[in-house]
Amino acid sequence: MPDLTPFWLSLRVASLATAVIVAVGLPLALVLARTRFPGRGLIAGFLLLPLVLPPTVLGYALLELLSRRAPFGLWLEQNLGITLVFHWTGAVIASGVAAFPMFLVPARAAFEDVDPALENAARLLGRGEWSVLLSVTIPLAWRGLIAGAVLSFARALGDFGATKMVGGGIPGATQTAALAIYDAVQVDDNRQALALTSLVATVSILALIVAQRSTVRKARA
Amino acid sequence: MSGPLLDVNLQWTPPGSSLTLDVAFQLDAQAAILFGSSGAGKSSILRLIAGLERPRSGHVRLNGDTLFESSRHINEPLRRRRIGLIFQDDLLFPHLSVAANIQYGLKTWPRVEREKRTAEVADLCGVGHLMGRDPATLSGGERQRVGLARALAPRPRLLLCDEPVSALDLAARDLLIDRISAVQRAEGIPMLYVTHSPVESVTLGSWLFRIDAGQIVDQGPPLDVLARGGKVELTGVDNRFTAVVESHDEHGRESTLHLNGGTRLVVPKQNTPSGQPVIVRIRADDILLARGMIEGLSARNVLPGVVDRVIVHGAEAEVLVKTGEIRWIVSVVTPALETLGLCAGVSVHMIVKARSCHVTAAASQEI
Repeated sequence: MPDLTPFWLSLRVASLATAVIVAVGLPLALVLARTRFPGRGLIAGFLLLPLVLPPTVLGYALLELLSRRAPFGLWLEQNLGITLVFHWTGAVIASGVAAFPMFLVPARAAFEDVDPALENAARLLGRGEWSVLLSVTIPLAWRGLIAGAVLSFARALGDFGATKMVGGGIPGATQTAALAIYDAVQVDDNRQALALTSLVATVSILALIVAQRSTVRKARA
Repeated sequence: MSGPLLDVNLQWTPPGSSLTLDVAFQLDAQAAILFGSSGAGKSSILRLIAGLERPRSGHVRLNGDTLFESSRHINEPLRRRRIGLIFQDDLLFPHLSVAANIQYGLKTWPRVEREKRTAEVADLCGVGHLMGRDPATLSGGERQRVGLARALAPRPRLLLCDEPVSALDLAARDLLIDRISAVQRAEGIPMLYVTHSPVESVTLGSWLFRIDAGQIVDQGPPLDVLARGGKVELTGVDNRFTAVVESHDEHGRESTLHLNGGTRLVVPKQNTPSGQPVIVRIRADDILLARGMIEGLSARNVLPGVVDRVIVHGAEAEVLVKTGEIRWIVSVVTPALETLGLCAGVSVHMIVKARSCHVTAAASQEI
């Protein structure tokens, strides 16, 4: 009987990573789409770095930032009692950072597609900024936002390098499906590798279908 | 309330433009027109009043409330200005139904009043039968009427119209102009209407500002200002009336229309059933004036009236004639004014051939 623990851990890690990505990425995408300020291009470029950096490089950078050797990691541990490195929450952060651009790029494009004149029409009808955002901007951008969330979930689900560097791939603790498949192949456990591969592939393909359906309808609308 | 309804003094240079807008005007008229060619700065004035752009300096006061004043650093946010704006492009919310679009500005109203007001403006704008529809399925004229209903629903203090009919075909344009005029009067909301069309100016406005290169270069009653601009700007100013088909003759050759105020007009046979609304257009050039009654005329309509005003521009003149509540525009050559002794207060007969009356059915086109 194959051990499905890594698969459930992967689902938990990828879901939480997606939630964090959307919570952080939504306002960032909105700011990048709607405002002009000096250094905007630089910030936008920096946020896309995970897309071009090798995952191990990204993982190493995160390790250096979050471990107790680093001031930030030490501060987290001493003041908030949070240890991220070699903990499953570290895997959430690592895969979340790796998958972040997969949400940011379509979300920013979706916000840029919303005609600002519609938002002004809403303001003239007496609505405040939050109300405009919730009743006009997000409903008009939602297909792009869903597509971005699904793509980032799929990317987080399959992350290997960054998750391995930060989480360590400890079996039963931080060993996600992608890591467990590698480990199973190393010890020639084909049944385990095949079971996890099939499950991860199924979820990823489903995610791809959802993402495509939302963008196709957007193109037709 | 003391002071003018709207007091505007604005200086602004649009980004990337060499034009500098510098206008100051006060408005008391219920329906005023900002008239000028494209690029003159008319739409910019509306955008500045609405708060969509920030003026470099100046002030905007509405009913004594300061909406903008550069020297006191006042710039009211859009949501607190209580100004209704209808756009060239209707800008309906594509993800909301017609009803939800109209109700959008009524979020803070109690539910019962919100429903009541929505039904009321929808009815007034002729969109009551479209409430459940998706805006994407509507015609251009329908979309603009929904936009009008949406703008009026929260009872704005001022209605700004930025060439709302310019994207429509001629028939839909006529109907929307009538609708805007009727609705604006019914609701009693002051209106500032931007257009480059003399027809719209004369039909909708009681006062007109001519804008050129970012400045107000002339103002006054619409026909007078247009006349000062020369014949070119008066071309196309026709007589346009809403009417009801009263009867059809038994031989099926002609129909009789009933205009507001009791005037009857014989026109070629119409297919529109009796009792149905129509719009009739008669070119100002197609009407003859006579001082007395003439016997044995082939023309089917001889309408008694009184000269209201005469506007002379060079060799041509526009004579405004009132029959009941209706004001007609008749074009004549200037020498005819002297021959007939035409001036305000003189009784005349207008002679209109049935075939000069161009009739379109109002109901069928609004569907």
